[in-house]
Amino acid sequence: MPRAERPGTPEACAELLRACADAGRTVRVRGGGTKSDLGAQARTDVVLETGGLDGIVDHVPEDLTVTIRGGMTFAALRDALASHGQFLPLDPPHVARGATVGGIIAANSNGFGRYRYGSVRDLLLGIRAALPDGTIARAGGRVVKNVAGYDLNKLFVGSFGTLGVVVEATFKILPLPPVARAASATFASAEGVFGAADALVRTSLRPTAVVVERSGPGPWRLLVAAAGERAPVERAMTELGRIAAAHAGTAEAIADPESALGPLRELLDRSTGGAVLRAALPLATQAAFAEAAVRADPDARLVADAASGVVQVHLPDESGMRSAADALLASAHVLGGSARMERTANPDLGVAGAPEPGGAFLGRRLKDAFDPRGILEPARSIGR
Amino acid sequence: MTAAPAVVRAGLRGAELAGALRDLLGADKVLWAREDLLLYEYDGAIDIATPDAVVLPSETADVAKLARFCAEHAVPLVPRGAGTGLSGGAIPVEGGVVISFARMSRILEIDVPNLRAVVQPGLVNLHLSTAAAPSGLYFVPDPSSQKACTLGGNVAENSGGPHTLAYGVTTNHVTGLELVLSDGTIVRLGGKALEYDGYDLVGTFVGSEGTLGIVTEITVKLTPLPEDKRTLMAAFPTMDDASNTVSAIIGAGIVPSAIEMMDQLSTQAVEASVGAGYPLDAGGILLVEVDGVRDGLDDLLERIETICRASHATQLRVATTALERDKLWAGRKGAFAAMGRLASDYYVQDGVIPRTKLPQVLRHVIDVGERYGLRIANVFHAGDGNLHPLIMFDGSKGPAEVERVKEAGREILEMCIEVGGSITGEHGVGMEKNCYMPLQYSPVDMAVMRRVKDAFDPLGLANPGKVFPTPGKCKEFSLNAAR
Repeated sequence: MPRAERPGTPEACAELLRACADAGRTVRVRGGGTKSDLGAQARTDVVLETGGLDGIVDHVPEDLTVTIRGGMTFAALRDALASHGQFLPLDPPHVARGATVGGIIAANSNGFGRYRYGSVRDLLLGIRAALPDGTIARAGGRVVKNVAGYDLNKLFVGSFGTLGVVVEATFKILPLPPVARAASATFASAEGVFGAADALVRTSLRPTAVVVERSGPGPWRLLVAAAGERAPVERAMTELGRIAAAHAGTAEAIADPESALGPLRELLDRSTGGAVLRAALPLATQAAFAEAAVRADPDARLVADAASGVVQVHLPDESGMRSAADALLASAHVLGGSARMERTANPDLGVAGAPEPGGAFLGRRLKDAFDPRGILEPARSIGR
Repeated sequence: MTAAPAVVRAGLRGAELAGALRDLLGADKVLWAREDLLLYEYDGAIDIATPDAVVLPSETADVAKLARFCAEHAVPLVPRGAGTGLSGGAIPVEGGVVISFARMSRILEIDVPNLRAVVQPGLVNLHLSTAAAPSGLYFVPDPSSQKACTLGGNVAENSGGPHTLAYGVTTNHVTGLELVLSDGTIVRLGGKALEYDGYDLVGTFVGSEGTLGIVTEITVKLTPLPEDKRTLMAAFPTMDDASNTVSAIIGAGIVPSAIEMMDQLSTQAVEASVGAGYPLDAGGILLVEVDGVRDGLDDLLERIETICRASHATQLRVATTALERDKLWAGRKGAFAAMGRLASDYYVQDGVIPRTKLPQVLRHVIDVGERYGLRIANVFHAGDGNLHPLIMFDGSKGPAEVERVKEAGREILEMCIEVGGSITGEHGVGMEKNCYMPLQYSPVDMAVMRRVKDAFDPLGLANPGKVFPTPGKCKEFSLNAAR
């Protein structure tokens, strides 16, 4: 069994990393453990749990910024901000299971609101990261604009714990919107549903969710949510109705938007067997990709953040899984995007044959510079 | 103007370098005559240095060929867009080659279905929005210099502008880059999708001020034009009243697309030059814009007007036509140029503070001006807390006067850091503020940034003498730095 360590301060976390690096012990970083089956990994000597790095460091409501420790759960942050009528406008998955802010940064874990509010990289203003040499480096700041020095925040977002441990983070936050509404409509084809989504994205309505869902053979569903002042929110709902009618359908209001969006966000958790893959695509290629998924496995389930081009696919058919997954990974690249396996029973799947991302040699140099002994997350392909 | 102190680095220079570049790239792509080089020795800031040669590439292959040659001969590479930068980023402080992107200024693709554009670095910022407008789209970042500044420069500096409050700065709108590294390697990063495998090198590169490599192609997001806008000019008796209004608007849960502030000295200069219709007797004015779908915009405007009145606004004027709106904005965007009426030279600072500290820090700016006997105008992005104090001076008084002006600027930046801010919000560190980096970052922080520099530019030839404190030149500040 790997040894669990739970540093209680950023300094202790940095010291622990230094000790591990000196001894050549490999380390895996664990927040809520909600994404622990995401991507490739190996058993490490140490599991560094960030739960001891908890709490709000600084919150000035009038400045709309908040600084927290990396191990704080998103749910705790959400509740603390809500008591001031504010929120961090991210809606990542796995929040109910205890996802931490540090883990959300490390996995670049976003929800459907990124089109309206931006993603982790857009909302993160500054970090402090504990590094394998035992130092704690700061990047960015606590103000909403800052171009002094390199933007190392971006390097850490989506780095999957391969460079260091985010011990502190500062985010832009917003006042909670007074009104939220959602509605859905069904469409007969991928082309129809993505066309309707596109028509909404091409306005200044700025919805908080434009989600395409296919829950198996049958119609495609478009779910749209809007939040903010009453008048523009109602206008968004009217526009959805108009677009649905143009496709010979009707839009139905959803009484509780979150009850409808929540399960869509958790496709990964709700999918058993087969494989789940995730693609980030140029917007207009989503319909073609979705059609390819259905050709590869007629029972394929999809959830797409159609406003941002992020499509998750569950391929339940285990027998045809390998060829279906390979076809879809290749399809994403051909369409100008990228794709990765999120979870699969077969760890070899989709690993071979994926083209190296542009600038991979720069990524390796950065990994070597931050973690020269390669102790952090040694099985991750990122930075290798 | 001050001549920049040069760091001596052995390598090919002077006429010999220019001759070799003519052989390498052809005479039509190289400038070397003294009178031509003079045009490239300054930008929008106050430092100067002369390049050994200027290269005007027409394609990425030219840049790669140039970089390979310069790597072999230890020649610094300094990319330059329109030279509108305000931190000396395009100044060849160690000599070498300035790369002008004047001939790589095309729009390669406006991809309407994918809401993206692919452009060359020399493209003028405003030209992109103009070209995208018939498709109902625009490029959000709108620096005040947008009629001249280039997308390559915007990427290098991570430029902002008045309308980035709600919609983000350059880095939030770039999804792909083609780079030439200082060893001549061509690298393509990102693309038209929002995420790719590996580290976010696009995000790491944007704002690196030419010190990690040279941008040769840029993929950006295009955004649907808002259905409608409302623009309000509000006048206040004092800057304190205007500052408190900014916090009150944001605090009410309203995020306008822009909140800009100008003090009396600025409005007087602007009125004399542009005639934007600003009241001359106000202590400070705000320009507030809200946009989006038409529904609810008037209600929103009314709420903002109510807040302004509660903060003692003496005059509220809403632009009712596009022409009136353009006039209000022409005053703001022409403000720096208008300062020429007040003084022969100005030095602009770019510190950022938490919005709630605006009254305190603006009072400090006034105090600095009084103590140094310098006139300081304030024209800035109040919604972001991004100050632009313009310190006016007479450069003909010589280097001692320039040093005094820089001292005054440093006192303002120290206050910005003291209240938890940053030394620069959008202009960049360049060579103008590299000595002040230790005010904001510890040696450990900067050593980590240095690792990134070394990964991209192990030769150290990409825009040397910028961002990081220069040994020798910056000794005092490093030692005295308060953290």
